Amino acid sequence: MIPQNMGSETNIKLPFSFILFSIIAIVGSQIILLFQGEALLNGSFRIPAIWSAAHLFILGWALMIAMGAMYQLVPVAFLTPIWNEKLGFIQFTVTAVGIVWFAITLYAAPQSALIPGIVMLLGILMFLLQMWMTLRKQAKPNILTLFVGTALICLFLTILIGITMVVSMRTGFAKDHYSFLFHSHLLLGTAGWFTLLIFGFSYKMAPMFSLAHGFAMKLAGYVYSFYMSGLVFMVGSFALDQPLLLKGGLLFLLIGFSLFAYHVYTIIQKRIKKKLDRPFGFALLAIIFGEVIHLLAFLAALSNHFTSFIGPLMVAYLMLWIAFSIIGYLYKIVPFLWWTHKYSKVIGKKEVPSLKDMMNEKIALPLFIAFTIGVLAVSIGLVLKISILFYIGQSIVTLAAVIFGAVIMSVMKK
Amino acid sequence: MNLQEQVALIEKIRTNLKRVYDPELNINVVDLGLIYDISLLEDRIAAITMTLTTPGCPLHDSIVSGVRYCVEEMEEIDEVDVQLVWEPAWTPERMTEDGLRAIGR
Repeated sequence: MIPQNMGSETNIKLPFSFILFSIIAIVGSQIILLFQGEALLNGSFRIPAIWSAAHLFILGWALMIAMGAMYQLVPVAFLTPIWNEKLGFIQFTVTAVGIVWFAITLYAAPQSALIPGIVMLLGILMFLLQMWMTLRKQAKPNILTLFVGTALICLFLTILIGITMVVSMRTGFAKDHYSFLFHSHLLLGTAGWFTLLIFGFSYKMAPMFSLAHGFAMKLAGYVYSFYMSGLVFMVGSFALDQPLLLKGGLLFLLIGFSLFAYHVYTIIQKRIKKKLDRPFGFALLAIIFGEVIHLLAFLAALSNHFTSFIGPLMVAYLMLWIAFSIIGYLYKIVPFLWWTHKYSKVIGKKEVPSLKDMMNEKIALPLFIAFTIGVLAVSIGLVLKISILFYIGQSIVTLAAVIFGAVIMSVMKK
Repeated sequence: MNLQEQVALIEKIRTNLKRVYDPELNINVVDLGLIYDISLLEDRIAAITMTLTTPGCPLHDSIVSGVRYCVEEMEEIDEVDVQLVWEPAWTPERMTEDGLRAIGR
């Protein structure tokens, strides 16, 4: 038995602040990408405008959503209230200002990105402190703590390496290791931070949304071990420039991801809820996309074509695995937040809507199809250098981002 | 209150609790099998032992306060003591026929 009131509910203004900011960021980033088609088609991924769009998308959208969602999910998954909500609001303001300033500076004057980068870093460090203090209060740490804790460490390393890169650009410090820093930054920011975070929370949310019971968690340990080994091998390959280590790393990542996909499948098999909600189905579909992308990355390395495919594969990884998972789960989290805000006090007193009634589910299918088609068109357009395909794809993704934002905002009218 | 009246009141409480829905599953707490026990401590004081489908259910506070309100507003009851427990853990076997039907089983 546990105490009656765990005080586990977070003030919804906190996660909502992050979510609303992120909607503006995703639309902004997609518009910038749309206008940078020529550079992307020429394979010029490392130009200021692309850096700006990439950071606005990854930091302004995905990271801000992940942080907002964690303010709501950590108390749920770890039965521990957020350490300091006031710090949460301060952290939001500092990070939001830092990200916008950083994105603008990257676009206009990348060599001056150090100070906005530090402001952003400060915001993220405040978040890491918040999570560290919250997680250490958890009574019984479990495998989810390991996934989420490691993801947070990866986030810290990603930011640290990012700042080192900015210093390197300004001062020439560690310029001989720039390639190592750049690749490690990308790997730890995507496969380290986001993937481990999605793995961790999926283990809580997949059974919760499917009402699964009586499943084993043993596989999660193997998922963690293989995926972590993959990350370590990959970083090693960047440091030593060893193709064999790269192949080994990608193989371990593939095995880890495959085990995760299989594990989620076994959990879903144990579900009581016969019909799964569509948005949750899309979060599951993201796992299939992630599996295919890991497989393609490994095959590309095996056939020594990794360098030519890594750009489009990264786009697909970000959009079809990370973004799809986030959007799928967001479709569940946002209605819950608003419902709690508006109806938790009147449950039992009068008729209240179900969570399903809070968000337009009918639009979910066309929206996800549009995202998929758009991202595939962008990726294929980039690989085959077909500009019309890229522009059509990117326009679809931009439009879908706008509609997605409108759908999220519409919840607040319910 | 004699035994027969007590049993009738407990059943009335159970029926009243069917107004509290889990908004995620859209099934009431009784058919979902969340209510473990309803008893009367005294004539006008009820005690409810209940659980949730998973520890850390995000709807924890909402559902518990809904249960409390639903019983406290009954004219036969002045006070209710709601105990939330995780042992024994909820299992799908606790759902009623109506609950299983609502979930598509």
